Amino acid sequence: MSSVPISAYLALALILFCIGLYGALTKRNTVIVLISIELMLNAVNINLVAFSKYGAVPAITGQIFALFAMTVAAAEASVGLAILIALYRNRKTVNIDEMNSMKN
Amino acid sequence: MENAWIIPLFPLLSFLFLIFFGKRLKGASAYIGILLSLASFVYSLLVLFERFSSPTHKAEAVWLTIGDIQLTAGFEVNQLNALMLVIVSLVSFLVHTYSKGYMHGDDRFHVYYAYLGLFTFAMLGLVLSPNLLQTYIFWELVGLGSFLLIGFYFYKEEAKKAAKKAFIMTRIGDVGLLIGMILLFWQVGSFEYDEIFAAVAAGSISTTMITLTAILIFVGAVGKSGQFPLHTWLPDAMEGPTPVSALIHAATMVAAGVYLVAALFPLFTASETALMTVATIGAITAIFAASIGLVQTDIKRVLAYSTVSQLGYMMLALGSAGYVAGVFHLMTHAFFKALLFLAAGSVIHAVHTQDIEKMGGLWKKLRVTGPLFLIGTLAISGVPLFSGFFSKDEILIAAWAHGNTVLFWLAVIAAFFTAFYMFRLFFMVFSGESRSDMSHVKESPGVMTIPMVILGILAVVAGYVNTPWFGTYLGDWLTEGNAALGHGHIEGPSWIMIVATVVSLLGIFLAWLIYCKRSLSRDWLGAKTMYNILYNKYYIDEFYELTVVKVMKFFSLFLHYIETFLVEGLVKGVSAAVSGLGRLGSKFHDGQVQRYGTVAFVGLAILIVVFAVTGGYLK
Amino acid sequence: MTLSGEFLAFLSLAVVSVMGGVLLLNLTKVVHVIVALVFTFISIAGIFVLLSAEFLAVAQILLYSGAITIIMLFGIMLTRHDDTSETKAGGLRKVLLFLGVLGFAFSVYIGIYNLDFGQVPNTLHENNTEQIGMALFSKYIIPFELTSVLLLAALIGAIILAKKDDEKGAEKE
Repeated sequence: MSSVPISAYLALALILFCIGLYGALTKRNTVIVLISIELMLNAVNINLVAFSKYGAVPAITGQIFALFAMTVAAAEASVGLAILIALYRNRKTVNIDEMNSMKN
Repeated sequence: MENAWIIPLFPLLSFLFLIFFGKRLKGASAYIGILLSLASFVYSLLVLFERFSSPTHKAEAVWLTIGDIQLTAGFEVNQLNALMLVIVSLVSFLVHTYSKGYMHGDDRFHVYYAYLGLFTFAMLGLVLSPNLLQTYIFWELVGLGSFLLIGFYFYKEEAKKAAKKAFIMTRIGDVGLLIGMILLFWQVGSFEYDEIFAAVAAGSISTTMITLTAILIFVGAVGKSGQFPLHTWLPDAMEGPTPVSALIHAATMVAAGVYLVAALFPLFTASETALMTVATIGAITAIFAASIGLVQTDIKRVLAYSTVSQLGYMMLALGSAGYVAGVFHLMTHAFFKALLFLAAGSVIHAVHTQDIEKMGGLWKKLRVTGPLFLIGTLAISGVPLFSGFFSKDEILIAAWAHGNTVLFWLAVIAAFFTAFYMFRLFFMVFSGESRSDMSHVKESPGVMTIPMVILGILAVVAGYVNTPWFGTYLGDWLTEGNAALGHGHIEGPSWIMIVATVVSLLGIFLAWLIYCKRSLSRDWLGAKTMYNILYNKYYIDEFYELTVVKVMKFFSLFLHYIETFLVEGLVKGVSAAVSGLGRLGSKFHDGQVQRYGTVAFVGLAILIVVFAVTGGYLK
Repeated sequence: MTLSGEFLAFLSLAVVSVMGGVLLLNLTKVVHVIVALVFTFISIAGIFVLLSAEFLAVAQILLYSGAITIIMLFGIMLTRHDDTSETKAGGLRKVLLFLGVLGFAFSVYIGIYNLDFGQVPNTLHENNTEQIGMALFSKYIIPFELTSVLLLAALIGAIILAKKDDEKGAEKE
């Protein structure tokens, strides 16, 4: 029926996930790190939805799960940004490698 | 009798109570100790009387189950146990009472009473034990109690050393006991006395093994009862408070060894070699210690050597198959030796010295202690009509009847020595002129003299429960229903009694000539060397010092160096490696979230790749 | 693999999203990064449409392309954004991480490239929103309510965290 196999969707999700991961672990600006994390979450959502349609047991559950994931991601982004702003106000920096005051 | 287990609990209660609340009670702690020990004495007495009319009571509960073997714990009241209960609790009670006067004003008064309670508890528990394992546990507890009490004046260097010595010397014996116990268990499969005796009687253990285990167990008794060659701790144990010496010497610690041999008597009788060993060691100890006692000048040391010597007598009796004689002497000895120690304590309390060279002429000053001391001396010397006479007589007859002629004569000579040095002690302390300032000397208070009076009465009359003239009640009762223990009374030629009497009177007469009348020179031993040898106790301590201690010291020095360089080096190396690794690792912990993430992820990736490659997913 | 319309659509959307991702990594200006992100998000919404998840696609556009992007922009504006962002961490870590990511991607790809569950007929594309609604408000009602609690907590948390002294919490969702 469909000419696009599930593995194609999964591969796309994998690529996006890897890009997000690489960005999250190398970028210095905390905002971009947060963005990369959002990208990773999105890749996961693609997986969920792909399995919901082409999985062994197709069901609406996958889409609902993705919906929840989106909600949580939104909450995470807002709290993350709030923390970032609070930190910026105190430290005058957004560079992640200078945020190590939890050490010791 | 079903509730005999409660007897040891009284002193235990006293111990616990005084340990926790003694500090607040101070002087009143004595009353608790006295009251509880009185309770256990009264209860023991009841048990003893009940035992006269009813059979042996034994109650046990399963304690541990290991595989198919069940270890039990419980208590047993047979004739020997009931008798020992009374002796131990009586002497303990009297010592408790006496100590109230003797230890008056000591800072650690309540601790002293707590230790007394622990010690009494251990001994009573030991006496009630129905199996070897339980005996061993209490046996070690007795050792602990003695350690605490001997080292009570721990701020005195000698007391500390004496406590350590007592503990270590008895430990040597305990190792023997432990090995013997394990061997027995291996052979019989049970620690129960009854089952052991049944196995011995059925002949299911080889004679060699019986001999071996009996001798090993006897080694434990040697350590505890201060037999040659492990006797050296006993005189040193005099560093403890004098009432403690009375307790240790009369009723508890040293009696434990004799009690053990008596309790395992059927095992010993099954092996002639073991019996011979016991008898020989006993006889040697008797004469050996008696000869040392001839020249000691410390009042307590003389008594200590007399204890060693009398214990030798008991061992000789047991080794000569004279079960009744041994136990009988244990009983009478408990009374007169406790009396002697308490009287000596009273003397020390009055004159504040232990050196008999500095005493003398105390007879007029100590109107109560003096006669009591005399009674004790007469009893231990074996003067007719006193308790020691009858029990010593029994032992001599047993030795003769068993055919140990040499040992018999050794024992006779030892009896002569005993009479001599005990009266030497008596005359030097009480007769003649005082050799130092004695103006302040006062008689001890009633709380100290009354226990002595009780013991004095017992020292006189205790012998009459088992005499060839009026009947052998004790012997008949002890051996009743147990053929393995031998006859209640062993017949012997009547000249033995006469010899014993003559010998002891001779010793007294000689002592009187030398130390009271002074018609003989005090250098009666002539050669100074002999005197020196005796005075230095045959140089046994020095010998140990030279051989065992030196070797051990060298060995421990060697081990010390191994420890310092090898073990510690190893440990240090390991710890340095670990801390180095830790320091390296802590460098990674610099708070960089991304570095953490990288390390974690790379680790995960490596795992996944390894899994993919080795898992056969690559086709 | 026939060159059907669906395949073409998937290919172009995938290319756009991956391009967006790569640009996201390589652009230096933070605002440009956000723009690249929007492209990625929108193409992912297209992917969702291909997977018969229309409701999710709309939500994706609203939530990600809209809300989250705006938050990120706020975040950038409120902080210092003239900073060209490259870690000063050594190249070794980057190389190591790159290798790790490559190994990871490779291993996982081995696992998925041959994956095929066969085609099971399904009705996800019919009244997709209705189906989601039915499931969400019946079977998943408790998680749904819990999510609202979570969002409330995030809202309050964000306000309190960002409020501090004089500044008002400017970002909240």
